[in-house]
Amino acid sequence: MAETTGSRAERDGDAFGVRCVIVTPEMTSLDTRARSVTLPLFDGQRGVGRGHAPFIGRLGAGEVRITGEQGGAADAVRRVFVEGGFVEVGHDAVTVITQRAVPAEKIDLTQAREQLEKIQGTVATGDEAIATKMQAENTAREVVRIAERGR
Amino acid sequence: MAKARALDRRRRSVRNIRKITRTMELIATARFKKAMDRSVAARDYTKQLVKILENIASVGADVVHPLLDVRPTKRSAVLVLSGNRGLCGGYNSNIVRQSVAILGQWRNEHVDTDVAVSGKRGISALKFRGIDMDERYTAFEDKPAFDAVMPIGRAYLEAYAAGKIDRLDVVYTRFHSIARQEAVTEMLLPLKAPEIAGASAAGSTAGTTSGSPKAKLASQEYDFYPSAESILEEILPASFLSRLFKCFLDAAVSEQVARMVAMKAASENAAGLIKNLSRRYNRARQSQITGEIMEILGGVEALKK
Repeated sequence: MAETTGSRAERDGDAFGVRCVIVTPEMTSLDTRARSVTLPLFDGQRGVGRGHAPFIGRLGAGEVRITGEQGGAADAVRRVFVEGGFVEVGHDAVTVITQRAVPAEKIDLTQAREQLEKIQGTVATGDEAIATKMQAENTAREVVRIAERGR
Repeated sequence: MAKARALDRRRRSVRNIRKITRTMELIATARFKKAMDRSVAARDYTKQLVKILENIASVGADVVHPLLDVRPTKRSAVLVLSGNRGLCGGYNSNIVRQSVAILGQWRNEHVDTDVAVSGKRGISALKFRGIDMDERYTAFEDKPAFDAVMPIGRAYLEAYAAGKIDRLDVVYTRFHSIARQEAVTEMLLPLKAPEIAGASAAGSTAGTTSGSPKAKLASQEYDFYPSAESILEEILPASFLSRLFKCFLDAAVSEQVARMVAMKAASENAAGLIKNLSRRYNRARQSQITGEIMEILGGVEALKK
């Protein structure tokens, strides 16, 4: 009996929440366990908790919110800006694969605003250039928004 | 005394050289460790990308993408990754030899080639051989940043998509282990189709023979948002960029290893030289002393008479 409970505890877990990993081409920038993770999918946000159905999704530019990290307060939120990429949600693990991941508190607001203005100042001609510009503008706006909320 | 003093001077200068090479060896060792750590840290990303690719492949999505199309090569691009600095043994010359070989091959086949070179050493060596370079980078040192590599990769992707190039080869030094690095020419574009056929076939046979159905099961459970095809469209450029980045990382690690080994050998050679010079110096000094004593004795003998 004791054995079965023991093995269940082992299987279920490391029992706390979901494991959240953020990998960038340069390194694994975050590896933690948390109660839930909110992901910026390409068409909107999606929250993932323990036992979520597995999926692979495309990410847009936005923030990954990690709520209730292990060892921290239950409502503490860690916010990380990611610029596109993918997410793989497994049984109790969320793996975010992105080209750029910046912790929200490390974003420089003035720099972000300058970047946004610079992009807004450029003139794009041709469909492709316009699409690229719009994407860059959205990304920059998202960065500014996240930085502002961090204040 | 003249000969002994000259030997001593030489010995001193060799000692100084040994100090320098020894220091360079230590610096290279430290840089190598850092570069190696970065390279190891970067592996996760590739691993995860491959995992997703395998999942997509196993749901049977058609893997059709312009980046996977093999076209007849009419215009090719070659990217050469060499070092900014010398004193690293055969590192740069191996790279130059490789790149001259592939450039010669394209010339023989009358293929227009777009040449980009990173590293001052490679640039000057290829310039000496009269090769025109379209692009030169000298900003990459022992810590290539992904943000710096990305624009280069993007430019290649765009050129490939627009049909301006049909093939991209990267000449770099692949890092196998501390004891082995080799200069290689690797084709990055068109992308080699991920090991899809093999993986899915293995998955299905394993599933029917109840070998290890886990891999197959796991992949079938995944939903795709928005769709497997759309993810594939995004993931292929990402995997190209990460492979290109890996080339830069490998080149950086290999350069440090090469310098480490070269400087270690140089320090050892200097030590040998010092030993040899010391021996000759001592002998010269001794024979000088003997000579002087003989002179004195000769003088004494002469006075006696």
